[in-house]
Amino acid sequence: MKVRADILRIYQAVHTWTGITTGLLLFIGFFAGAITMFASSIDKWATPPSHQLPQVESTQYDTLIHSVLAQYPESQNGLKVSFEEGQSPITWYQQGSARGLSLDKQLWHGTLDESGELQAHTSYINELSALVDYLHRSAGIAGEIGHDQAGVYVLGIAAILYFIALISGVIFLLPTLVKSFFALRDNKGASRFWLDTHNLIGITSLPFHIIIALTVIVFAFHDILYGGLSKLYGDKPLFARDAPSKVEFNVAHLPSIEEIVARAKVYAPEHSIKEITLSRLNSKSPSASVQLVSDEYLMRGPKTDFLFMNPYTFEISTSSVINGDQGIWGAVVTTLFGLHFGSYGGEIGRWVYFFLGVLGAVLFYTGNLLWLEKRRKQKQAEQSKSTQIMGKLTIGVAMGAMLGVAAAFAVTKWVALTALNINVVYMWAYYLCFFITLMSAFIFGISKTAIWSQRSIAILCFSLPLSSIIAMMLPSLGIWPASGWSSVVLELSAAILGVIFWKMADKTRLRALYGEPNSIWFIGQSQAEQTLQSQSA
Amino acid sequence: MSRLATTEKVQPDWWGKIFAGAVFGLALSFGMVGLFAWLGSDGLTQTISVEKHSWRTQFNMWIIPPIWLLILSFVFMFRSAKQALIWLGGANILVYVLLYFVRGIA
Repeated sequence: MKVRADILRIYQAVHTWTGITTGLLLFIGFFAGAITMFASSIDKWATPPSHQLPQVESTQYDTLIHSVLAQYPESQNGLKVSFEEGQSPITWYQQGSARGLSLDKQLWHGTLDESGELQAHTSYINELSALVDYLHRSAGIAGEIGHDQAGVYVLGIAAILYFIALISGVIFLLPTLVKSFFALRDNKGASRFWLDTHNLIGITSLPFHIIIALTVIVFAFHDILYGGLSKLYGDKPLFARDAPSKVEFNVAHLPSIEEIVARAKVYAPEHSIKEITLSRLNSKSPSASVQLVSDEYLMRGPKTDFLFMNPYTFEISTSSVINGDQGIWGAVVTTLFGLHFGSYGGEIGRWVYFFLGVLGAVLFYTGNLLWLEKRRKQKQAEQSKSTQIMGKLTIGVAMGAMLGVAAAFAVTKWVALTALNINVVYMWAYYLCFFITLMSAFIFGISKTAIWSQRSIAILCFSLPLSSIIAMMLPSLGIWPASGWSSVVLELSAAILGVIFWKMADKTRLRALYGEPNSIWFIGQSQAEQTLQSQSA
Repeated sequence: MSRLATTEKVQPDWWGKIFAGAVFGLALSFGMVGLFAWLGSDGLTQTISVEKHSWRTQFNMWIIPPIWLLILSFVFMFRSAKQALIWLGGANILVYVLLYFVRGIA
């Protein structure tokens, strides 16, 4: 397709600027986002099995709920009943709430013992998946603005530029799209190979990227958008409310959990019920939030669909399962959420989204490399200041973030042996690794940093299955080996990642020592030095 | 492709176009969504359930960014910043005048 040269040039500049300013932020967002696809498996893997109490018979839930409410009245503000095997049947928060990343959340677990007596204990919550999610949403930029992390707004702005980068990238690829779409030329130099990789990933996963850019902007700025919208609504409310109940409800009259489940089942017959959170039970606006799962449907949340119900009257206020009066509007909105979270298609869907996320990270990484190659002076080793700094940032930030996450995974089971708060250790591990790698890139240069950090990531990845082997051989040590399918797959995946990173380090080393002398990666001896040496010898 | 005279070429005019796309473009997408919120089906003049109203509002919020982003992405196609400001500014005036009447009638 023909595009006028002047337009092409403009959009090339737009693509370069929007890309280079956002690439590294998006890199962190995407690789961390890919990992969050397995948040449930990560939590299962990282939480000591002793934290979860045994499940109860389906007929015992009501006894359990009422004994918890009697002995721990504060739990009426948020009591989670879980029907999943391997989870405590009932949990509630002493400190903090289910939302957000907080390092000292105390969670109560409850169950019934054989004689029907309440057994309860508190535990910290392992925040490993929450740490990855925090990186995913904020790129690790600390600080808060309003009720959200500052990084969320930074990524929101980055997503605006990212959307423009997508459109401009397509525009300036159009003239050569048909000719070189499936070309992956590895015999025309590294730069050409990266360009082909970049284009191939960019075009094939374009719909995914458009959805991600759009949803990230909405996630970051919905409050501002609602604010503007309310001006246009005039005296009409954005969200109307049902008239509040005049009755003050009391837990003494709480219907049985079976009745609540039955009502939800009638509404969403093809979903299964994962958990129910009862809150504000002694008030005029009590709520039962039912978490529904289905592998057959696209779900609105990262892991579940929701349904809000009054637990006393069984009145359903709304649900993300379209079976009420949501109209086409609810269907579109929940679809957009679901397309961001990849919460459809069950296990296969999660893996597809994992790879789309990883490919996204590769897209941004190769984008930065292309920028570096293009601005590089071909005929001399000395490069411009901006090229040098961008090169160091690219390696430092990308490798540092990955090393930090790998370290957080690697310390998990070992720190559980100590009295340290694991979540505080996670933050230290992540930020230390990140800043050490970044500093190393500026002090020792990009090649050395890339090689050692890739080797370190590989070793940390290998340490996950290794810890399990040690745990099995030395049970007295007190760390727990991977048990269950998802934890074993997690450690196997870590081992495969380890091999990949080790190979990457080998490749980087080859290029750094024996590659093109004028490349920014080169740290070997230049041709001139070699001839000088051989002459003097 | 025939060579274009300098006056026919699209001028970069970076800051002017970015301003037009960012500010006028955002105002325009709010205005268009406002019209749709009042005039579209299940609009604000109609009586609909609380539940449907809530999802309609969410939908309205969701479609503001895509409209804005498309304007912001294609604003560089205008021949100059002046053109961009005139067209987008004009469209804004049109949309908000319409919105004013629609709300007056409603």
